[in-house]
Amino acid sequence: MSSYNGRLIRLNLNTGKSRVEEIPRQWMKDYLGGRGIGVRYLYEELKPGVEPLSPENKVILMMGPLGATTAMSVSRMALVTKSPLTGAVAKSVMGGSFGAFLKFAGFDGIIVEGESKKPVYLHIDKDGIHLLDAAGLWGLDTRQTHQKLRQKHGKTTQVACIGPAGEKLVRYAVLISDLRCGGRTGVGTVLGAKKLKGFAVNSAGPLSLHDADGFRKVNREVIQGLKASPGRIRMSDFGTSYLTLGFEKVGIFPVKNFQEGHLEGVEKISEEALAGIKTKNDGCYGCMTKCGQVRRVTEGTYAGAVSEGPDYETIWSLGGNLANTDLGSLIAADSLCDRLGVDTVSAGNSIGFACELYQRGIITKKDTDGLELKWGSHAAMMTLLEKIGNRQGFGKLLGEGTKRAAEQIGKGAQDYAIQVKGLELPAYEPRAVKGYGLILATANIGASHMYGRPRDELSGKKDKLTEVDKGQDAAKAEISQATQDAVIQCSFGPVTGFNPQQRSDLLVAATGFKKFGDPAYLDKVGERILCLERCFNVREGFNRKDDTLPKRMRTEPLANAGPATGQVFKNLDGLLDEFYDALGYTRQGIPSEEKLKELGLDWVVADIKKFAK
Amino acid sequence: MSVRLKLPPILQEFSGGVETLEASGRTVGECLEELEEQFPGMKESLLDRQGHLLRVFGIYINSDGLHPVEMDAPVQGGDEIVILNFLMGG
Repeated sequence: MSSYNGRLIRLNLNTGKSRVEEIPRQWMKDYLGGRGIGVRYLYEELKPGVEPLSPENKVILMMGPLGATTAMSVSRMALVTKSPLTGAVAKSVMGGSFGAFLKFAGFDGIIVEGESKKPVYLHIDKDGIHLLDAAGLWGLDTRQTHQKLRQKHGKTTQVACIGPAGEKLVRYAVLISDLRCGGRTGVGTVLGAKKLKGFAVNSAGPLSLHDADGFRKVNREVIQGLKASPGRIRMSDFGTSYLTLGFEKVGIFPVKNFQEGHLEGVEKISEEALAGIKTKNDGCYGCMTKCGQVRRVTEGTYAGAVSEGPDYETIWSLGGNLANTDLGSLIAADSLCDRLGVDTVSAGNSIGFACELYQRGIITKKDTDGLELKWGSHAAMMTLLEKIGNRQGFGKLLGEGTKRAAEQIGKGAQDYAIQVKGLELPAYEPRAVKGYGLILATANIGASHMYGRPRDELSGKKDKLTEVDKGQDAAKAEISQATQDAVIQCSFGPVTGFNPQQRSDLLVAATGFKKFGDPAYLDKVGERILCLERCFNVREGFNRKDDTLPKRMRTEPLANAGPATGQVFKNLDGLLDEFYDALGYTRQGIPSEEKLKELGLDWVVADIKKFAK
Repeated sequence: MSVRLKLPPILQEFSGGVETLEASGRTVGECLEELEEQFPGMKESLLDRQGHLLRVFGIYINSDGLHPVEMDAPVQGGDEIVILNFLMGG
């Protein structure tokens, strides 16, 4: 008896056939689940150099060992592929309930491979696994797709699907499940290339546990502690929006495509302003916090718009980054992105990039389909989002991401593309929080805020602005995030409520694997996952040169950013050395043979010798 | 009348690394004013431009949350005021 189902669905879209196969038991021990097992499959099954939008690429959806149990906020689902935006490994974690019901149906994951000739979707129920015609769904937005699938398969059907952006191959398209989203770096794009509209599952559990009584005992302790947790209550009251004013004040919240750190009128899109139009909480399966904030615009141009969000990232990407303080437009834009199935961070960052090019005269109305791209113009933002999601006109170029768009535009546009490895930066100004900058530079998937958090720096235990002695913290943060994404637990610690030992105890009770009882063992699993992702990238030609930050951060003093005003990121090279040393990588950012062997990755050594540059 | 204040690491940069301080105000706001005189910048760093408590902070008296009346909340001798800094993100 175990919380692992131990099997997955392998869907081959070339043949239209699926089969159920066992997940190697040793992989569960070595990689836990979620992102870990997903990356293990990806490395094993993808040849180096595969074109991300070709049939040879694969998308792996994978649950963790605690998924669908009664533990708090652990029923998330990892999405792993090779990114069409970066050419690197892609990992993303999606909330909601779909993954839990996939486990209830008896599967820990799905591997999608090949490419269908016509649009299809996968339906899973007690009668089996069915690949069905999606002609009637193709072209619909994600909300319409949910409705159609529920009309056909029943109200309780759990759905995850792409929208028009994925179908039309916008490079940062995502997967949407109800009001939750996953797939930064273009997981939705890869599914679109495969003509797979999405997934629907009807299931009703139950899930087995190795030691149900032991699990219940630990879980009860955790939940008891959670009820009165101030951090959990704060998340329930505000979601991540509560960060906005605090971060803007200390220069972390970037404004106008990272040109400065102060947003005039920020209080109009603050946590308090958003709380004023909140209608209810919403959240993931098995979470008592329900951090999702459903908000409805009650007046003005966007009256009637509803979204679960925006969260801190989207308040920034479609708000501060564009100098947009129109609250209604934020809700409407967030909702539009979800319906189109487009990543709000990359979309907002791409529009900010375009606004700065317009500000500098690098592009004009001739390039923008006649749109005047002034800072703060929410009408232009809404138009551009529609164009990006539907890959029309100027939106087609922005849907390529800032790196490719800048290359096509030329005229020095590259200097204003705020991306790392092709992935647009999130809502953290690297010059104002240097340890976070190091993580954004070194993250194997590109500049993601979900690849590790420098907690000591953000909490004030370490100075945010110094540029020494941060490599080890960044390495630990990335390892810790990898473990979390393998469990898979919510990244908001106070929402899960368990400490490392309680997490280990829950894992042992759920799976029966005694090794999981040692938190240090789980840290080693995280390190192995992180290292294997780096090896995947090495095989694709990545090395130290790709672990960098945009030129702006390294050369321009940060303007108007409170205590961070005047900051430049000067010592990235020194911090990279620290980071590589902490992880046992060479100074070229390549895992050493000794480290690979220590982590049980001996089987990768030959690849690294062959491909390392 | 003496009240204890417990500071999160981010505010300890003002107090020279000291985590627990004493104050004698009748409200949370008065206690913070007192500390501001000793450690300039400390209270200001808790507030937004309108003078409201930033939501990245929470103030608690003897473990009870004070939202939304933090600054006006009365305190009594022997109370412990705890300031927390919330940093989940994303």
